[in-house]
Amino acid sequence: MRRLPRTPRLVLLVLLIAGLATMPLIPDWFPDQSWVTNSRLFSFTQMFMLITLASNWNLTGGFAGYVDFGHAVFFGIGAYGTGILMNHGWSFWPAMGAGAVFALVFALVIGWPTLRLKGPYFAIAMLGTFVAVREIVRVSKGLTGGGVGLTLPPYLNRPLFYWITLALAVVVVFIMWWIRRSEFGATLIAIREDEVGAEMRGINTTVNKITAFAIGAFSTGIVGGLWAYQNTFIDPDVVFFPSRTVELVMMSMLGGLGTVAGPVLGAATIYWMRDVVWANFADYHLMVEGFLLILIVLYTPEGIMGRLGDKSATSLQKVWKRNGKVPEDAVDEAVEQVTP
Amino acid sequence: MDLFLQALINGVMLGGFYAAMMLGFSVIWGVMGVINLAHGEMIMVGAYLSWVLNENYGMDPFVSLLIVMPIMFVIGYVLQLILINRVVNRPILASLLVTFGLSIAVANLAKLVFSADPRLTDTALSGAWSVGGVTFPVTKTAIMGVALIIMSSLYLFLQSTRTGKSIRAAAQNKQAARIVGIDINKIYALTFGICIAITGAAGALISPTQAVFPFMGTPLTLRAFTITALAGLGSIPGALMGGVVLGIVESMIGVYVPGIGTNLAIIASFVLLVVILITRPQGLFGGLRPHEEPAQI
Repeated sequence: MRRLPRTPRLVLLVLLIAGLATMPLIPDWFPDQSWVTNSRLFSFTQMFMLITLASNWNLTGGFAGYVDFGHAVFFGIGAYGTGILMNHGWSFWPAMGAGAVFALVFALVIGWPTLRLKGPYFAIAMLGTFVAVREIVRVSKGLTGGGVGLTLPPYLNRPLFYWITLALAVVVVFIMWWIRRSEFGATLIAIREDEVGAEMRGINTTVNKITAFAIGAFSTGIVGGLWAYQNTFIDPDVVFFPSRTVELVMMSMLGGLGTVAGPVLGAATIYWMRDVVWANFADYHLMVEGFLLILIVLYTPEGIMGRLGDKSATSLQKVWKRNGKVPEDAVDEAVEQVTP
Repeated sequence: MDLFLQALINGVMLGGFYAAMMLGFSVIWGVMGVINLAHGEMIMVGAYLSWVLNENYGMDPFVSLLIVMPIMFVIGYVLQLILINRVVNRPILASLLVTFGLSIAVANLAKLVFSADPRLTDTALSGAWSVGGVTFPVTKTAIMGVALIIMSSLYLFLQSTRTGKSIRAAAQNKQAARIVGIDINKIYALTFGICIAITGAAGALISPTQAVFPFMGTPLTLRAFTITALAGLGSIPGALMGGVVLGIVESMIGVYVPGIGTNLAIIASFVLLVVILITRPQGLFGGLRPHEEPAQI
């Protein structure tokens, strides 16, 4: 399949975003239509959140190749940070900001040891972190309400949440696009392809990995806060929902790991499937999603974007040439001799 | 002092069970290089099978073991042939994601079939022996006894039978094993079947003492991972030691941290896991495979 040239693609993208942004206004302009309802806006809001979450996951999981089975822990910390502070009389925005900062700090603290682990060890350590934090939240009854949960002041303005989450998704995807083209993004991809090689070329892999991890955690913390406020109720099982991480992995993989558009496409597809196809079979959808993940891994491990031949990859070599930092050929030769 | 001794004994008994529970996980990883994240769900399936037999035919879980194990062997054998075999030779992320998907699917399938209510099986074994102020509950002692029998049988099987030797050969060097005429696919399917049978047996064993519910799997998978990290891949003596260490840690926390101790136990196993992975990634006791850098995704 051929890709459109750049300008028409940009025009289409802007039209799409503008169209989505005007959607909540349609009932005001055309009072006789019935398609745009509050529940439909709510459903789109969920989809924008998932797009953001999948993009965040993709930053460490797809770009840097550190597959994380516990990313939802940052969602939970963001949600609980917001919920607890709002119960202490803070207003929403500062509470949400603080919640996201908690997620960021937690990412720095937990990423420092866990990002040294490779491959499956990292994935499992994060799954362990996720379960451990959920139990800690359940145990600290004084702060978090324990298993009973927390209630947030209700604020039911569906169009507003729609716009906020749409804006967040657009901003996050733009940041991902920018990272992908930057030296930082190329560094992450170098870490994914050959971490030892990247280190030998003088890249501080630890700092780069932790930075990516923390950016993703911060942004996921924001989504957590928004979700908590919109849902007005949080408890450990709702917020630390075990399959949320699976969904993120699955969405990124379906769309294409390590691509910018992949998580967006994957999240939109899977959310649409669940909302439309599985809405009548709510009991089955998790089971089906589990099987779907298996099918994706077996049959399209490169995802939709990979199938489309995504060429947005920027190699580290290219970035270095652009910045006038061409690595010496001797280093390459030495690496070839050392690595079997 | 009695309290301490009791906690120690409880920990050792729990550890014996843990060792049997994680053995399948560890051997599958050691032989095939597959991290089976659906391990906890296999325990859950074994426990539910035992519960069904108990509920419908009044069968004691210690007896129904003999039925659960063959069924689980078939499940494992088939799973390996139709699913795991397709990802064995791919990067480790593939098998990790496939088994993760499997665990979600199986847990939710169990929720549909059995509902989320916790279940327990009845066993004829009850009461407790008391030796010098320390009590040995009969059920838990029997669980540990059966676990030890299972483990030593597996050890003897791997050490002295022809098939067992083929399995070890496949773990050490797949190419060389092929050259000397070992059918790798058959050996893998057999390994997976045996390991799942043991795992299902562990599920049947805990069904009288611990609530059986669809989502019991993930914490158990995590524990299996922790113990494997402690023990080294596929090492049976290591598994016993690792299981006992974790059992004692959890039991001590349960006793000395009142109220929230049971919730803290899972946190403890996670902290132990990360500490071990960072300080001694090859495990405390070596194992089936020589130490190697964990595969890059």
